[in-house]
Amino acid sequence: MKQRAVWSAVLVAALALAGCGSAGGTRSPSGGADGKLVVWDWKSGEASAAAYLQKAKADFARKHPGVTVEFVAQPFEQYYTLLGTAIQAGKGPDVILFNGGGQIRDRADALLPLDDYLAEDRQRLTGWEAFSKDGKTYAGPVTLQGHPIYYNRTLYEKAGLDPAKPATTWSTFVADCATITTRTGAKCFALGNKEGFGIQFFLSVLGSGVLTPQEYDDWIAGRRNWNSPHVKRIFALWKETQDAKLNSDGANSTAMFNDSFAIFQSAKAAHVIGLMSDVGHWKDFSEFLTAEKLGVMRAPVVEPGATPSLPYDGGIGYGVARWTKDPKVAADLVRSLTSTDALKSFYADAGAIAADTTIDVSQGGPAVTTIVADLKAGKPALHVALSSKTLDLMGRLSQQLLSGSVTVDEAVKQLAASDQAG
Amino acid sequence: MPVDEATPAVRPAPTGPARRAGSGSRATPRRGRGGRRSERLAPYVLLAPALLILLLLRFWPLLLGVNFSFTGDGERDGSAVGLANYLELARDPLFLGALRNVGLLVLLLPVAVAIPGLLATFIYLRVPGHRLYRSVYFFPAVLSPVIVGAIFNLLLAFDGPLNALLGGVGLGPVDWLGDPDVAMFVVVGVHVWATFGMALVVFLAGFATLDASLLDAARVDGASLPQTIRHVIVPSLSRTIQFVVVTTMIGMLTSMFGLLYVMTSGGPEGSTYLPEYYIWIQQGQLNRPALASAASTVLFLIMLVVGLLQISLLRRAVREA
Repeated sequence: MKQRAVWSAVLVAALALAGCGSAGGTRSPSGGADGKLVVWDWKSGEASAAAYLQKAKADFARKHPGVTVEFVAQPFEQYYTLLGTAIQAGKGPDVILFNGGGQIRDRADALLPLDDYLAEDRQRLTGWEAFSKDGKTYAGPVTLQGHPIYYNRTLYEKAGLDPAKPATTWSTFVADCATITTRTGAKCFALGNKEGFGIQFFLSVLGSGVLTPQEYDDWIAGRRNWNSPHVKRIFALWKETQDAKLNSDGANSTAMFNDSFAIFQSAKAAHVIGLMSDVGHWKDFSEFLTAEKLGVMRAPVVEPGATPSLPYDGGIGYGVARWTKDPKVAADLVRSLTSTDALKSFYADAGAIAADTTIDVSQGGPAVTTIVADLKAGKPALHVALSSKTLDLMGRLSQQLLSGSVTVDEAVKQLAASDQAG
Repeated sequence: MPVDEATPAVRPAPTGPARRAGSGSRATPRRGRGGRRSERLAPYVLLAPALLILLLLRFWPLLLGVNFSFTGDGERDGSAVGLANYLELARDPLFLGALRNVGLLVLLLPVAVAIPGLLATFIYLRVPGHRLYRSVYFFPAVLSPVIVGAIFNLLLAFDGPLNALLGGVGLGPVDWLGDPDVAMFVVVGVHVWATFGMALVVFLAGFATLDASLLDAARVDGASLPQTIRHVIVPSLSRTIQFVVVTTMIGMLTSMFGLLYVMTSGGPEGSTYLPEYYIWIQQGQLNRPALASAASTVLFLIMLVVGLLQISLLRRAVREA
């Protein structure tokens, strides 16, 4: 009885307090001690980023000899949770590494617009769009992230296909896959959709083979017509690839990172929609398949009127927290972290496609040269334009589509509702 | 343990209701005013550190969390939104699914208790090799959920050894972690596998207090094994069983996160979400701290109900003793 009284008192008090304060925390400037900048990332602990950071630090030290820089590497799985806590507290790192797209846009109100500070880099670097919200730029791009279709040239040769001429239409692509599967036993696509990422890559890659250029640009600009037959076609195509047994087995329980990539590397599947930077990219695959045997192709044309292009955006970039003491110094650190010299190291060591397009990649093999050549005609990825909430929902719906527990119409309807809700 | 209310450790202050109830008829020893005051204050001073710690580190964060659950996220950060977050939770099929999974865990509780109970019975009855089994059964309890999850991820992969085994005996492969109808049971199964060793030890300790003459008597009377278990072992171990029920329940409700995170990430199709995982996703991945606070409050209320039930269960067990 007494206990119940205590608890009800607690709850009543809680309810009385309800609705004041904020879950997002206060935004008073409190971080960033004088003469020191703290950087949060998930990269600085990796050996492949060592030379990159060293060059960036040296560049920054030349400009601001009195300022020390501390890099704090956080575990990526916990990164945005930890960052959320720091944002709520209104203090923490001065310079923050972000993934482009939803992750930075959702947290833009904790960041400083950098347009004035980074104006000089505007031309040299590309991929700004992924770090912008409402016309303001919140980070300087370091790498580009995109989704080429990689293919195994050895499997093409074994199947009697010409590896120099991958299919350009969906019907020939499906026919080629059938040939590869009968002659080599390899599946068409290595697919890992346990995390629900498979659909994101699929949407962005095959999207350019389905949507007309106008529809594509409208999608990116936020005018997404979920009722259009072409949008539905993309999700129907996702289901078709499963029903036609083009995908590797057990896609819903296969992790994309890195089980599906392992399937591709071990030649159990002929194609994989991979990444350009970080992991699951040309450099990773080259180590297993050799650089010469790794091909990169654009999406086949699924619907007439579509012009396939390479989907890519800014991959990772450094932003500056609103609470930093001296925004100019912090922005200068961002400039050093995106300097040509530093990015050159990052490209060479980590295999990232750097945001600086002036870097020469001709030594990297045919796959990387194709990717960089495709950048010019490339467009922002379709999935990056969606909110994290819609992406989360899309991940679950994509699993239901694969298992057949939801129809394409129903899935698209739910996605439209989530997308339009914000 | 709850303090028995009938025997207060500190004499009640004379100004309290006890005094009024006595309406002055009981003579109180006369002392100096200062002495009485310090005596009156002493219990509060002595309790203060513990109370302050509780208030600051337990109740205050709790209140803040409940408070945040009535504010908005994103653009509405910091402004009162009333019950909007709770309404959103009530409409979110994912959260409702997570609550349904909590219900499923409660339903699976008897299985999770019966397994160590049965195995402990066999060990107690000295089946051949019982010494080996005793240590083998306990072994998984020392592994962290992440390691257990990683091991079973490999074993249960679609092209993994278990499916290869099934294929070998002519059965089709099962997508253990990719089929929404199967995945939750698999994760619970792995959790039981990983933790039943602890319950087994508790059961064995309970068996140590079992009156052997009862078993002998049952044997003399010609009772079969099921009869012995039902009429001798279960009644004698009722307190142990209650304790294991309570601790297993707590374990299932609070420590599945690691396994879920490693094995299914809440998938497939969101079928293995539990409230904890939902809170983590909303706060960490979707940047909805206020909604996560609301979900936390709901989880807290559920745990409160479960906890009070458990306390009353334990209290009854103690009283029976």
